[in-house]
Order: sequence, then C-alpha cells, then structure tokens
Amino acid sequence: MELRSLRPGSSKAAFRRLEERVADLEADLTEVRRHNVRLAEIADVVQELLVPMASRDEEAIQKAIERFQESL
Amino acid sequence: MPHLLRVRRVDDSGLAVATLGDRPVDVCIDGRRVWTFWTQRDTTPVGSPVGRGPWPVRHAPWPKPLRRHLDGHARITVRDSATGSVSFDRDVALGSGQGPIRVQNKLGVDLGIDKSGRLVPTFAGRSDADIAALLDATDAVIEALRSAGVEPFVAYGTLLGAVREGAVLGHDSDADLGYVSRHTSPVDVARESFEIQRRLRLAGWQTSRYSGGSFKIYVTEAEVTRGLDVFGGFFDDGRLYLMGEIGTDFERDWIYPLGTAELDGRPMPVPARPEKLLEAMYGPSWRKPDPAFQFSTPTRTIRAFDDWFRGTQPGSRFWSKRAYVMANKPLRQTPSTLAKRAHALAVPLGAEVLDVGAGRGADSLWLARQGLSVTAYDYVTRALQPTQSLAEEESLELEVRHLNLTEWRSVFAEGARLAQRPRPRIVLARHVVDSTSGTGREALARLCSMALREGGSLLAEFHLPTGDEGREDVEWMVGRPNRDSFTTLLRDAGASRVDVRELKRDGRPTVNVVGEW
Repeated sequence: MELRSLRPGSSKAAFRRLEERVADLEADLTEVRRHNVRLAEIADVVQELLVPMASRDEEAIQKAIERFQESL
Repeated sequence: MPHLLRVRRVDDSGLAVATLGDRPVDVCIDGRRVWTFWTQRDTTPVGSPVGRGPWPVRHAPWPKPLRRHLDGHARITVRDSATGSVSFDRDVALGSGQGPIRVQNKLGVDLGIDKSGRLVPTFAGRSDADIAALLDATDAVIEALRSAGVEPFVAYGTLLGAVREGAVLGHDSDADLGYVSRHTSPVDVARESFEIQRRLRLAGWQTSRYSGGSFKIYVTEAEVTRGLDVFGGFFDDGRLYLMGEIGTDFERDWIYPLGTAELDGRPMPVPARPEKLLEAMYGPSWRKPDPAFQFSTPTRTIRAFDDWFRGTQPGSRFWSKRAYVMANKPLRQTPSTLAKRAHALAVPLGAEVLDVGAGRGADSLWLARQGLSVTAYDYVTRALQPTQSLAEEESLELEVRHLNLTEWRSVFAEGARLAQRPRPRIVLARHVVDSTSGTGREALARLCSMALREGGSLLAEFHLPTGDEGREDVEWMVGRPNRDSFTTLLRDAGASRVDVRELKRDGRPTVNVVGEW
C-alpha cells in the first residue's frame, strides 16, 4: 500500500490496513531479532563443549560440562 | 522561591499534601530517608481544599513494603529532594504508637524504598567502612572486567553519584557498571557477555544472568549482599545501545577514551563525556536530584532489547518473591497426584525422577523418601534450599540443580550431562508448561528427548487459560499454553505415545499429559 494514498479523506479501511501492516512489520522484526540470543547460545555451547567432546576423553568431557554449567 | 508544598497530615494511610507542582519529596524517619515520591505523579486527589488554603490536597499512600514497619513513634521529616527545603518535621505516632519505628531488616540494617518500589538496604544508612567495602568490590570487578577484555565504566546511578555528587547516592542500593563492546551485532555482544561472565565465575565471583547482554555480580559487604549490574552495550551505525535503558544517536568518542571521576574519594572510570551519557540516561534535568526517578525509555529501545537479549527468565520475579514469602511456611507433606503416579511408574522401571520446576520440592522430598533417586530442578533454586538440607539430614538421594528452560545453554548442558549417564527416567513437570514461555515449552520437550533415550515418561500437568469462564488465570501463567501444540511438541521430540486428559483442578481447566519415550 502506498503511503500517498493516505490523504485527508482516506477511508478508515486504508488506515486500518496500514496499522495492520505496521503490526506485521514489528512482528516480523521481532522474529528476526530474537534469533540473536539463541545463535549466541548455540555458538557458546559449541565452542565450550564440542572441543572436549571431540577429544573422546570421558573425564575431560564431564569436567567441561560441569565447568560450563557453573558459568551460567 | 518559596516551596509550594504543605504537608497537611501524616497518618497510618500515608501523607496528605497540598501542592500545585509536581516535584520529588523525601520522607525521612528519624533523619534517614526511607521513601521519595512525586507530589502529583505518585498521589491521588482527595476532595476540595475549601478553608485549607489555595492548593488542592492530594494523598500519598505509604508504599506497601514500608507499611509493616510503621508501628510506633518517630520524627518524620518531609523535604524537597532537590533543594532540601523542609515542609514537615514533627514527632508522629503510627499504628499502636508504642516504641520507636525502625525501618530495618532482621539484621538491623537500615532500609529504604528504591526507585523500583522495593524496600532494600540503601547506602544512606551505611557507614563509611561499608561504602568503602562496596567500592573495593567495584574496583575488583572493574579489574576483572578489564582482564576479560572490555573497558568498563560506572553507569546509571553510580555514574550520576560520581559526576553530580562525588559520592554514592544515598537512596541508591546497588552499583552499576557498563561497557561498550567493539562488536556491532547483538549475537557477538551476547557471546562476549557470556565469556566475561565465565571468566568472572572462574575467578570466584558469584554471578547470575538476567538477559543475553547483562548479568549481576553478587558482592557481600558487612552483612549485606548487593548486586553489581554489568550492562553490555554496543554501537550500531552511530547509535549507542546500552543494556537497560539506552538506545540513542551517540558519538563513540563521547565514551572512549574513558576519563575519571571521584566516588567517595576513589577514582572511578567514567565515559569521556559523562554528561552526554547522563543526559541519555536521565534526560536534561539529570543535575537535579530525584530519588524517585522513573525511566521513560522509548518503546523502540525496549522492543529492541526485548527482541535481541531478553526473554530468558519469564516469571522469575514472581517465583523469587514467592520463595521469599513462603520461606518460613511448612512444606506440603502430601504428594501431588502426579508425584504418586511418577512413583508408581518409576519403581518397576528402576527409574530416577527428574522433578522439573520443583518449586519448594514437596514432591521431590516425598519421592526421595519413598527410596527413589530424585533431581529437583528449578530456575529459582532458593526455595529448594530447606528441602535440600532436609534431604541431606535424612541421607536421601535428592539433588537440587539449577535449570532454566528459557536458556538454551542451560538445557543443552544439562541434557548432555544426563545423556552421559544413561538410565530410565520419569520427568515430572507439574505446572511448568503454564509457567514458562513458548521457548520454555519447546525446551521441556527437548530435555525429555535428551534425558529419556533409555526409555521413560514425562508426566505433565498444567492449567489452560480460563477463556470465557469469567475467572482470572493463575497468576504465574505465561502466554497461552495449549493442549494440542504441547502434545505436538512432545511427538516431534520423539515421544512414541502421548495420552491427554482434560480435567478440573481447583475449579480450573487443567490438562494432564503422559508422554512415553
């Protein structure tokens, strides 16, 4: 919808459509933004736990998990 | 200019004040500030001022947390927060009028209402030695943050105190630190914040995280434990975001290189142009004292912080408060229906029980007393401490562990730990689905998929939104828990069978779910 269509005398429906569109855009933005903290969490888990797990050293893995949990 | 405030009355209900303007005023008991309110914003009109002077009379009710201390007599003073001019100064009897009024905690520490309306140990009643102890701790945390690779500065109320008064603000109750990351994306800012917290934990500090960009460091000085807040910030295309309240156009060289200001004679790092940051925090009138200041953070900034960093502890304030209120009340001695069912399922399987969202641990304790091995999880573990002590006394197999379903790192790490110790398990989740967010509900299903690979069941019970039944939802409800979407989550997480029953509990629509793995 073009903004210039919202001139004095525009229909209520046109305003409502614009309001709905703003609400949709805000929801879309939230949807994109909320991945930030989750991606950071995944990166942190991988960084802290994957390396010890690749070592296949049971004790090192347990210690890494414990250390990680303590840091939360 | 004469002060435009008359205090008409101070009684058990609060203060009646006559005023035209809206200004912050301090209420002091025996010379010590316990509360600040705005004469318009925090009051309500009470009838006509006929015969009592030209100004309308307004009522300022005592804040609820303060009321239970107001029994006895004291010298009550009301003064303008900014100018110090006194409008009222008299001996007043409240409640029974017997004995002196003391606004103190059990340890005799003076308390005051902070800007969030909580009754906390403020700095006003602290000795120089106590404040020095807090400043020592602040110094140490600044050093620790530096060693973690960021350049911290004092922020918010602590910055205001340093720049405006050269001292900690009497009405303040904590210390705030901030830093501005070299990163520009919220993902990297959160990762850096995680790393900083990890380093501080390794160095022995007690910490707790409340968003992806900020956490608290606990420091005990004298007999008071205070939180030092560490707020992460970053620049994005000429805009400064500093966790908490700031999202504004800003210049990097207004922050770095840092300068110095004195806080009770101690040099503290401050932004290069502290007045610019203070204006962003408190508006252009930051030079005028206002102990009852309330942030009016733009919706755009709040939304950005909520989206990027928050949502990792829904309802925690409710449960922390409940833990405090319930601390001295006896624990429920009878098991819930769900716990009895968990017991019946666990015994033949030789399974251990994971009580997720254990609350005060009544079910956990009962199950452990039946001879089962139990782990009691919660994200507010304080309420579980008495149960843990009891279990230790009775040599029960009951372990209390922290688990936050809305932090993926917490769930993944605990899931990995459980996967390392494979055995059949029963997961008990009583009023978890209705007290966590959508992310938390997904995480509960994920935890089951990680913990139940050797077989077992999830037993969950939760209230549904009451909908049109004219009754309010339970106060802990987060979002709108839904029967079908939860059972879909369980199936997607590998449940081979899901049985659902709808019933009424305490007169509320309730869902009982058994998922088998």
